[in-house]
Amino acid sequence: MSSNAIKRTSALLTSLALLGAAVSACGGSKEGGNASPSPSSTQTASATGSASASPRASGNAGKKIKLEVIETGNNLPAPDQDIIKKELDKALNVDFNLTVYASGDDYKNQLNVRMASGNFPDLFALDRQQLIEFSKQGLLLDLTPYMDRLKQVSEFIGEENVKKGAVDGKVYAISKSSQIPYNTYFIRKDWLESLNLQVPKTIEELKKVAVAFTNDDPDKNGKKDTFGLTGGELNGAFAPVFGAFGVGSPGSIYEKDGKLVNALYDPAMKDALAYIKDLIATGAVDPELLANTALQHQEKAFKGQAGIVWIDWPNMTKQNMIEQIKAVNPNAEWIQMEPPAGPAGKFDGSWEIGNTPGRYAIPKALEKDPEKLQRVFDLLNYVSDPKGGSLLVQFGVEGTHYTKDGDKIVMTDKAGEVGYSWLYQFTGRPEMSYLQTKFVPQADFIKFANDQPRIQTLNGFVDLPEGYIASDADRYIKEELAKFAYGQRDLGEYDKFLKTLETTMKYKLFMDAAQAQLTALGYGSK
Amino acid sequence: MVKGLEDRLFNALVYAVLVFCALLAIFPILYVISVSITPFGEVLRNGGFILIPRDVTLTAYKTLLTQSNLPQAFKVTVLITVVGTAINLVLTGLMAYPLSRKNLPGRRLVLLMIVFTLIFSGGLIPTYLIVKSVGLIDSIWAMILPNAIWSFNVLIMKSFFEGLPEELFESARIDGAKEFRILFQIVTPLSIPVIMTIGLFYLVGHWNEFFQAIFYVTDRTLFPLQVIVREILMQSQQPLENADNITPTQTLQMASVMIASLPVLVVYPFIQKYFTKGMLLGSIKG
Repeated sequence: MSSNAIKRTSALLTSLALLGAAVSACGGSKEGGNASPSPSSTQTASATGSASASPRASGNAGKKIKLEVIETGNNLPAPDQDIIKKELDKALNVDFNLTVYASGDDYKNQLNVRMASGNFPDLFALDRQQLIEFSKQGLLLDLTPYMDRLKQVSEFIGEENVKKGAVDGKVYAISKSSQIPYNTYFIRKDWLESLNLQVPKTIEELKKVAVAFTNDDPDKNGKKDTFGLTGGELNGAFAPVFGAFGVGSPGSIYEKDGKLVNALYDPAMKDALAYIKDLIATGAVDPELLANTALQHQEKAFKGQAGIVWIDWPNMTKQNMIEQIKAVNPNAEWIQMEPPAGPAGKFDGSWEIGNTPGRYAIPKALEKDPEKLQRVFDLLNYVSDPKGGSLLVQFGVEGTHYTKDGDKIVMTDKAGEVGYSWLYQFTGRPEMSYLQTKFVPQADFIKFANDQPRIQTLNGFVDLPEGYIASDADRYIKEELAKFAYGQRDLGEYDKFLKTLETTMKYKLFMDAAQAQLTALGYGSK
Repeated sequence: MVKGLEDRLFNALVYAVLVFCALLAIFPILYVISVSITPFGEVLRNGGFILIPRDVTLTAYKTLLTQSNLPQAFKVTVLITVVGTAINLVLTGLMAYPLSRKNLPGRRLVLLMIVFTLIFSGGLIPTYLIVKSVGLIDSIWAMILPNAIWSFNVLIMKSFFEGLPEELFESARIDGAKEFRILFQIVTPLSIPVIMTIGLFYLVGHWNEFFQAIFYVTDRTLFPLQVIVREILMQSQQPLENADNITPTQTLQMASVMIASLPVLVVYPFIQKYFTKGMLLGSIKG
């Protein structure tokens, strides 16, 4: 081969590489502005989907600014079909770019990479652990001095929720307003009737009904193909049972007789486990209980395999769910039931009051761009305005998706178009009135679930101490409790289990931290 | 030809094993297809398991094609696949061919550098920084250019080119062909098997594009198929946190899986004859 040819080949290769670079540069400036600093490219990038909004809005508050928000979620439509985005663009003179990730892990990866590489979104969702981590690294904007510019927000979410976004007394994140509990036991009314049984009122009756559902052929098909009780793993299926013994879900911390108690150390925990063990031994519990991770228990209930399930009302009573239930068996009828009473009364599982359904932070880098920062504040204030933007992100556009009847809001039949609007509820929503408005046929279920007494747990207030690996400890707790419940490990060894947990899993660290932090907040000192 | 009983038994055994293996592969696909064309109520009534559909409906496909982000994502994926594979093949070929010529100066060094990237990589964040600094973030090229050449495929192609007899090149040169003519008129036609095989590797890789999209793209209209399909599947696998969430039925999920995998499924048989030939490349050095 002549050296001439080699030169030519290499020249070709080099030119191809150059071409690649050129093409990529074009792509970059055409498609996405956020990476490149030049303002002109940001302008062209906003062309898609917001063209209609630009001429109207450009007049009022300076130039149009691109806002990028990332969070987990799904079902967001494309920008040009996104009515909420268009409305926000118009109202705030921004080009709103919301990106949602279906999987929490994918989202975490994306967020970590962007934080590490300095390509910050303007507002992003994060969990408590990340909040602590990022704030320590100085990546988050301390919102404390800006709180007077976020008045609408703090009014909307309430003082206690503002505190939930604080690390060491400084507010680094805006928490969403609190949610309400959805879960209760649901029971097959038609099965109860066919066996002449009553809705169980105590845990003994619960056992009796579950056994009857398993052995007495409630669906009258001549086959023994049913079982009594199912739910999502142990904590799910037996939440009200733990409650009946006055125990929170394993690992949770709550006040009992004025003192802080961890469910695992609660003396009643052993009694609860003993009862669960007996119930499982009767064969009346879903044999695949521990494998019900997502919504398998719901599917089993729909298929007519289980007669009692601890689940949320949306997955049982929304119209499309009813259709599925009726498609399998037109006679199937599910009703909610109160938690069965036990030695400690009745509690429908536990309800975490220290946590928030979500929180959003602003990167520290935005400090240098006050104009943009103001728009982020505007956005947060806007979606927190009960008379303005909050209605938009709750219900859609007035006149199209909802109408006002005095103070009452009525959804129109077009409401389905903006079913994704919850993705834009960055500061949450007034939960009860929201649900009552949006899910009118389910109103009674919502109220019923909300009215049930629950053990209020405080874990959300506790920041995990260093050296304690929550996922390892949680897995160990789950595994060992399953062994106790299934009789593979004798309950007499329970104290030994706690010992291992404290030493090997460093649970002691967590306990001490929880005690100290919760006492500082004024819990457990009555 | 008369065969002994032993031979026939042996053959029967082989067939049995092969049929068994084939069934293992066919059942899941059949299940996905069947569920995707059966109304969900019917699926539930049968305990969630259907192999031979009785009640056929295409509503799930209709819903997906009219009311979701799938059609847009489908366009993106087709674009990435076609453009990406073309770029991949041209660049990989142009890289592998000179390296297969033993008289190329610096050949060992370049090869070493290629092998080096097989074992070590810069990691996610440095890669992200590069993609960002060349302005690829949030563009369709972010899903094509960072992986324009897979070093492993370069090595496979290189060893295929090395297997071509030297005499071919000599005779071509005697006939007056220059390097480019040799590459495009002699080497390329002879290399169809390897081009097809590597092309298929690249094609499937692009079709399944997921991670680069997740990391480099935030514009929803640029999300490829797999991201959207995963979104549809994930919705039902997460515990409900929000009353507004609408869980897609199993029928809908399976239909989305079918839409995502059918095209590659259709392409496979046509490339398979090259594939077996190409897969053996590099296993015997000429």
